[in-house]
Amino acid sequence: MGIRQTLDNLEPHFHKGGKYEKFYPLYEAVDTIFYSPPDVAKTTAHVRDGIDLKRIMITVWFCTFPAMFFGMWNAGWQANMAIADGFASMDGWREAITMLLAGGHDVDSLWANFVLGATYFLPIYLVTFVVGGFWEVLFAVKRGHEVNEGFFVTSVLYALILPATIPLWQVALGITFGVVIGKEIFGGTGKNFLNPALTGRAFLYFAYPAQISGDAVWVAADGFTGATALSVAYQDGMAALSSQWSWWDAFLGFMPGSIGETSTLAIFIGAAVLLWTKIASWRIMLGVFLGMVATSALLNLAGSESNPMFAMPWYWHLVVGGFAFGMVFMATDPVSASMTNPGRLIFGIVIGVMTVLIRVVNPAFPEGIMLAILFANLFAPLIDHFFVQANIKRRMKRTGVPAEETA
Amino acid sequence: MAQSNNSIKKILTVAFALCIVCSVIVSTAAVALRPLQQLNQELDRKTNILSVANLYEPGMDVEAEFEKITARVVDLRTGEYTDEFDPETFDSFEAARDPATGRTLSGDRDIAGLSRVENYSTVYLVGDPDDPEQVILPIRGQGLWGLMRGYISLEGDGNTFVGITYYEHSETPGLGAEVNNPRWQALWDGKKVFADEESLQPAISLVKGGASEATEVDALAGATLTSRGVTNMLQFWLSPEGFGEYLARFRSEVSPDEAQDATVELESEGA
Amino acid sequence: MSAATPKGVLTTPIFKNNPIALQILGICSALAVTTSMSVSLVMTLAVIFVTAFSNLFVSLIRQHIPSSIRIIVQMTIIASLVIVVDQILKAFAYEISKQLSVFVGLIITNCIVMGRAEGFAMTNPPKLAFLDGIGNGLGYGFILMTVGFIRELFGAGNVFGFTVLQPVQDGGWYVPNGLLLLPPSAFFIIGLIIWALRETHPEQVEENEFKMKENSQPKEAV
Repeated sequence: MGIRQTLDNLEPHFHKGGKYEKFYPLYEAVDTIFYSPPDVAKTTAHVRDGIDLKRIMITVWFCTFPAMFFGMWNAGWQANMAIADGFASMDGWREAITMLLAGGHDVDSLWANFVLGATYFLPIYLVTFVVGGFWEVLFAVKRGHEVNEGFFVTSVLYALILPATIPLWQVALGITFGVVIGKEIFGGTGKNFLNPALTGRAFLYFAYPAQISGDAVWVAADGFTGATALSVAYQDGMAALSSQWSWWDAFLGFMPGSIGETSTLAIFIGAAVLLWTKIASWRIMLGVFLGMVATSALLNLAGSESNPMFAMPWYWHLVVGGFAFGMVFMATDPVSASMTNPGRLIFGIVIGVMTVLIRVVNPAFPEGIMLAILFANLFAPLIDHFFVQANIKRRMKRTGVPAEETA
Repeated sequence: MAQSNNSIKKILTVAFALCIVCSVIVSTAAVALRPLQQLNQELDRKTNILSVANLYEPGMDVEAEFEKITARVVDLRTGEYTDEFDPETFDSFEAARDPATGRTLSGDRDIAGLSRVENYSTVYLVGDPDDPEQVILPIRGQGLWGLMRGYISLEGDGNTFVGITYYEHSETPGLGAEVNNPRWQALWDGKKVFADEESLQPAISLVKGGASEATEVDALAGATLTSRGVTNMLQFWLSPEGFGEYLARFRSEVSPDEAQDATVELESEGA
Repeated sequence: MSAATPKGVLTTPIFKNNPIALQILGICSALAVTTSMSVSLVMTLAVIFVTAFSNLFVSLIRQHIPSSIRIIVQMTIIASLVIVVDQILKAFAYEISKQLSVFVGLIITNCIVMGRAEGFAMTNPPKLAFLDGIGNGLGYGFILMTVGFIRELFGAGNVFGFTVLQPVQDGGWYVPNGLLLLPPSAFFIIGLIIWALRETHPEQVEENEFKMKENSQPKEAV
């Protein structure tokens, strides 16, 4: 009530001729967070329900919460374990906050782990939100359209796929690249053909590989080197991997990695909600999964003496690295994925196949899902094109007249 | 005008005249500049050799400094110098390909990823050729993205490193390409090839997170596979498969015969 | 096009009608050679030289070139010039020619050179054609040097090989951006330059091929 009134009182200032005409997008963004937009279509012909893009995006945002909270705890837990082993903690304000709130680096304390992890994740998220939001608003104001809710999702996804120790200025550069180059220069949400969060991460991956890949970046303790499960498998083979972590460890997420990617279970909880609400396409997820299973089975069969990754079975591929996160949250991005139903399946399969190929066959990149999704993004319009054309041809055959152009 | 331009006669005349003029210009340029270009190539190679021996300074007279260095061709199988080839013109890549002067490496023995290796190689000796201050050896092997070619320089004891340099590689900028970072190269000075005086298998390797032994050098940060490539190619070229035989002559504790036996053993293992 | 003036042909290719940014020609070499400014500079000079002289020679004999073999004639002239440039570089700037490797040779296939020979030199007098060649070379060079500057400064911390931002590998504070050392970065930078150029010269923006429906605006306040 109070909020509605305040907003209504403010509204005239933001309309044409008002004091803050230029900042209408900002007003609109705040307004629609709290209330449904006033101009929802009400007739039955087109709209099935009153949900708008913002509600969809906020649902996705909520779905990342299990992975996010687990990720914070895990980042702290990994660091505290290393500290317990005698490595120094990273000094500075993070240490001060941890001491203040948790009082120490107790590995067994849920709270201490969580607080330490949060001192890494929250600043990353905050920087992402502020810097990315700045670009988002700048373009919205300049172009005179509303702020796109997609950014809610982009920002949290982007923050979750970074390692805990990444320098914050790199976070800012990455999201800048992701939002501006990955999205805005093509016209903003809906017109981008690449997933902006992944574009930002890919930028960091190639620009500053030392801070986002390798062995030293995953655990926030000074001088500690701990490889991710994927690089262990890549360098020393499956035996080394399974001696270090059990499959359940990997499934539940008790291993180093990017903040949000480690726990397959937490990600699947989010996935269940996304599928139940039909926000994410089950066809894409299924496609990614099938492509991965088929390719890894094929490579298992082929075998290789020199490359231990050939021997990695599909159920390990599923739980290590960013596969689950990419499959659930990244591949299903409604803008950059395929739009036709059969196209979605193909799109997913391309991702699954490419992920395994990059992971196993490529010598340089232990992780493949990021590049695989960006690669498939490029092909999405082409895949759609074929299915649309096929559809038109079929209709022609059936009716004998060219189909009316439908939007 | 246009009409006459397109007559057969005119076309042939123009084409012919153009060809003559252009070929004269091009061949004049090529012939006139050839000596200068060869000089440059020579200079480039010599500069590389000098810099691995820590003898190079920018702006110095490379030719004069190179007087100190003698090139010899070595038979890798016996470790003896050979006069069969002229060190000025001997090309080890050609030699590796030629069945008469090279051999095929198989499986486990091909740790540097070369597939074929030559039986003869050019070495460069700094100072007195009979008792050199430094021995400079060419090495090559697979890095992450492709073949890396370079030189290493050892002191006269055949065991202590002076330097390493790569003149050709295609590693990732900022990671693997740091092989040519002077700070990293400086780490090599004084490192040992072999763990002890008797051993024939090189122990030198790149290790992550702080080298502690004399035979360990810090790996390149973030470049696991390039570092592994560098380790492998050193392990290969300094073993009896490579320059091991030859290095034995500089090492007081190892007699060349022993080294030769080791090679025979290795070869029978491989077969 | 209005009648060409000497000043016009020299300067319009730099901003108004830039061969890379507007005509999108010669991208290939612009991606490959711009990791450092000194290499970009040599490449620029080489292209200016080749474009200017190929224009000059083509224009000189334009009255005598049979139209049926004109492309081959132009190619031969360009190729000869390029080989001469390549030989000179190998003789006098060996280090840089090593870095430029095949890209000097590939000037032959640089569409800018060919395009100017066919599009301008065939129909204009030698002096004007020569200036046009220099102008287009300058336009190419302007982009090359800008991209080279950004890539070398932020990718390696140097300008013309002199350290400006001391990189962390050498004990400084600057973390070099590795992406800028990889060829795709030149794509982004050229794209951003085109964006900036079109903001300042709106006449360069092409017509939309099709129009999207306007964003539906909320009701106007009364």
